[in-house]
Amino acid sequence: MKTLTQLVALVRLDLRLFLADRRALIMLFVVPIGIASFMGSLFGGSGTKGGKGGIGGGGGMDIVMVDEDGSAVSRGVVAAFQNDAQFKVLLTNAAAARDLVLNGKRPVALVLPKRFGADAIPGWFDAKRRPEITVWHDPSRSMERSLVEGLLVPKVVQAVAGNALTPEVGRDFIRKGLTNLDRGPGRMLGQSERFREWLQRSDDYLATLPSGGRLTTGGTNTFSIPLPFSTKSQALTRTATAEYNGYAHSFAGMGIQFVLMSLLDMSIGLLRDREAGMFRRLRAAPLRRGTWLLAKTLSFGLISLVSLTGCFAFAIVVFGVRIEGSWAGFAACLMAVSAMSATLALTIAAIGGTPAGTRGVGIAALLMLVMVGGAWVPAFVFPKWLQSVSRVTPTRWAVDGLDAMTWRGLGWEAAVGPIGALVAFTALFGLIAWLRFRWETE
Amino acid sequence: MKGPILSAKGLVRRYGDRVAVAGFDLTVHRGEAVGLLGPNGAGKTTTLSMLAGLVQPDEGEVLIDGLAFVGEDDPRKQRVGLVPQDLALYGEISAAENLAFFGSLQGLSGSLLKHRCSEALDMVGLTSRSGDRVKTFSGGMKRRLNLAAALVHDPDLLLLDEPTVGVDPQSRNAIFDNIEALRRAGKTLIYTTHYMEEVERLCDRVVIMDHGKVIADDTLAGLSQRAVTAGRMAMELADVRDGAWLQTLQSVSGVVTAALVDNTLSLEVLEVDRGAAAVLACLRDHGVRVTAFSTHQPRLEDVFLQLTGRSLRDG
Repeated sequence: MKTLTQLVALVRLDLRLFLADRRALIMLFVVPIGIASFMGSLFGGSGTKGGKGGIGGGGGMDIVMVDEDGSAVSRGVVAAFQNDAQFKVLLTNAAAARDLVLNGKRPVALVLPKRFGADAIPGWFDAKRRPEITVWHDPSRSMERSLVEGLLVPKVVQAVAGNALTPEVGRDFIRKGLTNLDRGPGRMLGQSERFREWLQRSDDYLATLPSGGRLTTGGTNTFSIPLPFSTKSQALTRTATAEYNGYAHSFAGMGIQFVLMSLLDMSIGLLRDREAGMFRRLRAAPLRRGTWLLAKTLSFGLISLVSLTGCFAFAIVVFGVRIEGSWAGFAACLMAVSAMSATLALTIAAIGGTPAGTRGVGIAALLMLVMVGGAWVPAFVFPKWLQSVSRVTPTRWAVDGLDAMTWRGLGWEAAVGPIGALVAFTALFGLIAWLRFRWETE
Repeated sequence: MKGPILSAKGLVRRYGDRVAVAGFDLTVHRGEAVGLLGPNGAGKTTTLSMLAGLVQPDEGEVLIDGLAFVGEDDPRKQRVGLVPQDLALYGEISAAENLAFFGSLQGLSGSLLKHRCSEALDMVGLTSRSGDRVKTFSGGMKRRLNLAAALVHDPDLLLLDEPTVGVDPQSRNAIFDNIEALRRAGKTLIYTTHYMEEVERLCDRVVIMDHGKVIADDTLAGLSQRAVTAGRMAMELADVRDGAWLQTLQSVSGVVTAALVDNTLSLEVLEVDRGAAAVLACLRDHGVRVTAFSTHQPRLEDVFLQLTGRSLRDG
């Protein structure tokens, strides 16, 4: 009974002191919400439907294009990019394009050279005549460069097919193909006769088309060179209604970061209390060190839980973040994250020893944990080795667990792994704090 | 209950190679007020920490009512109240909240806790400020609240570690009044300080520590007797014609030294009352007229100086 009275008094004191500290309240509620809102808008905003801005957002990536050829084919490539909602295309000359990329105002510039249209078809069969498209890019924006290069191929193929491949040109290529077939016995591995038949039928078909017509993709009376595949883009989440929300991840990451920072500050306060002689009075009472440590874990955990809940409540109301997965799993994740954060803060204080020492060590350690743990940017953008390293950080499990229960829309069973890992980290940190926290002041 | 409330036997505490307390013995009976006197670094605070059960002695034992502390949560700790030297208070919450918190740690709750908080605040004269945040208090008020926080669970034995450090004279007097009230209420006090006058006012027994050891343990009267040789007198003289009488004076029984500088005669005597009469008779016989006369009775400061060879306020 006495222990319970002491426990309640210690927890109540911490909550009272926390509520009386305006700076701590701002650090735990206002700052993470502000930064998470900003980060969320950078990483996709509120879902795939109607999202705004950013790399993955619907605002479109700004690129520059230079058309030095001016042919139907090159104009077709430019139009293909202009008609793609993922891009906002600025058409300009080579010098201006170069400047824009050099100054970091555009991530990528595409330069379609002279004779691009004329050489595009022969280039298909003759490497010496193949036109070269220059891609200028900002070295710090490799993700954008990869995206543009990836989409360049189908756009060029379609533009060439639609603007340069007439029935006559097609029949010419078929004739060359038949000639090559005759010159190279066994080239088709015993299937030359069937290939010859296929080419012959294609030639017959082209002969039926009006002379001078264009071969475009689609349409019933036109010839087309279709791509050998089509894509069906679908955001993969467990529930049909679930969709990616950049705010869900950023609020998880920033919430955890600022909880850890605030708890570090509070644990430094404990060390200041110890230096100021407060522990002499505490220890003069019939109070166990274990009771005191448990009370600190409970109060820190409670503050952490309230802060994370507040952050997510804001994200739900303002940014439409939804708990698409299990609510029970989400609540359990929040509790596990809070317990881990509380014991981690106490461990850092136990190891740091003095307030000044703990501040230095603590800030460095926490920044490393939140960065590697994927609290700033999702861990999947890390190199493979860093992704492996991040698996041994509690922050990675915390972020993964919350992501799974929010925008990934996974069931409670997906929370078991992260919660198990977080409980294990809590036990480890609790043990270190128990062994290392200096209770005596003398 | 019979027997001493506190008994410390052969306490030793080392910090690495440094011996902070080197064999401390003390027995304190109920209602006694013991002054623990010593310069900075004498080992007073470490001794008090061992008496309060904060620090385990490397050797020796502390008995409260004949029994040693067992574990951090020994209920006997509730019989002891510690007033730490530092202000151990939370500035962001009110005085009443501070007392309620410290009372709860002592196991108090409900109406008893409220009652004790109210009593403690009343005793130190802070009832009217009970709802105010402690950070708005003056230094003296904080000191008084620091005292109240040690009283909230109504301990029998109060350990006060320099409770008047850094306070103004008015607040110091208020704290003295509080402590005198506690004495009248029958509390047992152990009061550490390096202010001689505080011990002289508040305590009836003095333990002097130096270099971690007890070098004297006696009543105030008993200690004053030890310094009786230090009785001094000073006289302003008129009509000083020659110094022949000075030689006679130095041979008077009970006079230790006699020196004349200008018209001022300074003397050290074994006993002030007898010495004064003999000296005045000798001067009258030689026709030397005395215009002013003063004596200096030996005080605790002199005893300390005599015992340790250094002043109390020496670092």
